[in-house]
Amino acid sequence: MENVIELRNVNKAFNGFELKDVSFSVKKGFVTGFIGGNGVGKSTTIKLIMNLLQPDHGEVSIFGLDYKKHEKEIKQRIGFVFDQNVFYENLTLLEMRNIIKPVYRKWDDALFHSYVERFKLPLKKKLSTFSKGMVMKASLTMALSHHAELSIMDEPTSGLDPIFRRELLDILHDLMQNGERTIFFSTHITADLDRIADYITFIHNGRHIFTKEFYTIEEDYAIVKGEVGLLDRDTEKEFVGIRKFNHGFEALTAYKQRTQNIFGDTVILEKPTLEDIMLYTQKGINRYVESHT
Amino acid sequence: MQIIISNTSKEPIYEQIYVQIKKQVLTNELQAGAALPSMRELAKDLGISVITTKRAYEELEKTGFIYSVVGKGSFVSEQNKEMILERKMKVIEEQLMAAIQNSKEIGIELPELKELLTMLYMEDV
Amino acid sequence: MLNLIRKEIVLQKKTLMIMLPLLFVFLFEGISSIWIGVIFCIPLIMQSFSIEERSSIQLLLNSLPYTRKEIVSSKYLGAFVFTFFILTTISIGNLIIYGEITQWKQLLFIFCSVALFISFAFPFSYQFKSQYIMTAFAILFVLYLIVINKFISNLNDRLREGVRIVLSYDNTLLYAGVLLTVVVLSFFSWMLSIRIYSRKVL
Repeated sequence: MENVIELRNVNKAFNGFELKDVSFSVKKGFVTGFIGGNGVGKSTTIKLIMNLLQPDHGEVSIFGLDYKKHEKEIKQRIGFVFDQNVFYENLTLLEMRNIIKPVYRKWDDALFHSYVERFKLPLKKKLSTFSKGMVMKASLTMALSHHAELSIMDEPTSGLDPIFRRELLDILHDLMQNGERTIFFSTHITADLDRIADYITFIHNGRHIFTKEFYTIEEDYAIVKGEVGLLDRDTEKEFVGIRKFNHGFEALTAYKQRTQNIFGDTVILEKPTLEDIMLYTQKGINRYVESHT
Repeated sequence: MQIIISNTSKEPIYEQIYVQIKKQVLTNELQAGAALPSMRELAKDLGISVITTKRAYEELEKTGFIYSVVGKGSFVSEQNKEMILERKMKVIEEQLMAAIQNSKEIGIELPELKELLTMLYMEDV
Repeated sequence: MLNLIRKEIVLQKKTLMIMLPLLFVFLFEGISSIWIGVIFCIPLIMQSFSIEERSSIQLLLNSLPYTRKEIVSSKYLGAFVFTFFILTTISIGNLIIYGEITQWKQLLFIFCSVALFISFAFPFSYQFKSQYIMTAFAILFVLYLIVINKFISNLNDRLREGVRIVLSYDNTLLYAGVLLTVVVLSFFSWMLSIRIYSRKVL
């Protein structure tokens, strides 16, 4: 399968933060959800993918092309949405379009107006009067109006109400119908991913933890519940992270089958949510740090 | 084609799709040659990811219930009679084995079991 | 590239609309063309800088299919477009109001002053922030006032005299030399800005 985005051993250090040896790829024709807590490197990774930052080491290639030689060509084919207002606030949406329209070879005015109508956006009001949700809709409109092959979205659902979030997912589903488009989007509202994401890329503390097909996550990972008495130095190693309570423990395993074999019927195994995985990974790393200090 | 998926079920979603399509093929609700919706269409309708429907279709293809034509889509396969028979035979064998095991546990002898089987067989008709 | 320059003009449309009548009023009042040229050009150019200083705007420009080289270059070219625009307006204004053709030396003087300003201000603004330039200007202006009031009360006259003397030189070669120096300076400033901006962390 063709990769649209490829990061190979990317390292980037700045502002006291570091991305370490990050490698992953994003498959063409699919939606990849990009998850991780705040300040773990999501925005930095997106900026590297957009060439807003350059890696200290390693390579980033988009559509198999290198930014050094094909910067404009690559960006022609990308639609981007950031989680902040990137427009000139003193302009109206229409004036903003006039600035962006001539930039893209494949700009589609009819498409632009169809989104403006669908999102009920005012064309002649200053962007500074837009609410956060409206700014997001305006960003989406710009990103979707030039037939971009790759959409990169940083927290596109933040600031949107649940009804519109659902509508957005429908729009994204529509976009994916021909199999030629690729979407890479970061979010911390992981419930949105259940409905659309084909792959999940998870980073934590500047490291790439995994990129998996969505369904393999529930095949590999499980929430394990049981009595505290079952835990000892050896069995604890089985888990990514553990939470102990008075009445028992809850833990996350990354090897569902093996855990099942070890504990048998003495524990209950449940399907984890992405949030569970993020939470326990965080816990696990804290535990690791504690045991070494 | 009707498919109902449950997000709270323990069964993975692709499995739910697989089982339901398979059932509809076996019961002839979906007839041989019938076109299935494309993976991307189905994903959109069900509000799930494309990779999930892709996985379900791949499993269905592997087990011979459907086949795909590049650029045209997926279709219900001609069900091979012998294959179905063979599969059914296997199921019967397994069920009988279970009955035999249970019989042995409580000491029912073969003639008695045969009698019971004959009686039940006749009754059902 | 052309789109970037067009964007500069679109963004300043409203400022230009306000400035034009004002410029005519100034001309009508008989204020010197050179003075008008400089005080209209520089704020206009710096304004175009400060509009885009918000980091999110830099995010936008760099995400669109432009290279950083183009983004910087368009600022320089845009500044020259604005300068020519002001120069043209002054010439036309003088023609309409006084029925006279503006001295080419005066226009050249304005152009060179503005270009000199840009050459220093742009790399500085890319490295730091344009508001520092504005602050620096405010301080200079205050100093200038102090100097006028406390030390050299006829500084204004002396400056005017100086400019008059410079303009009265009839040596074309001298002007060509000055122009060449300014152009070379601008060019180096341009290259320097590209260097600074390419390394900037957004």
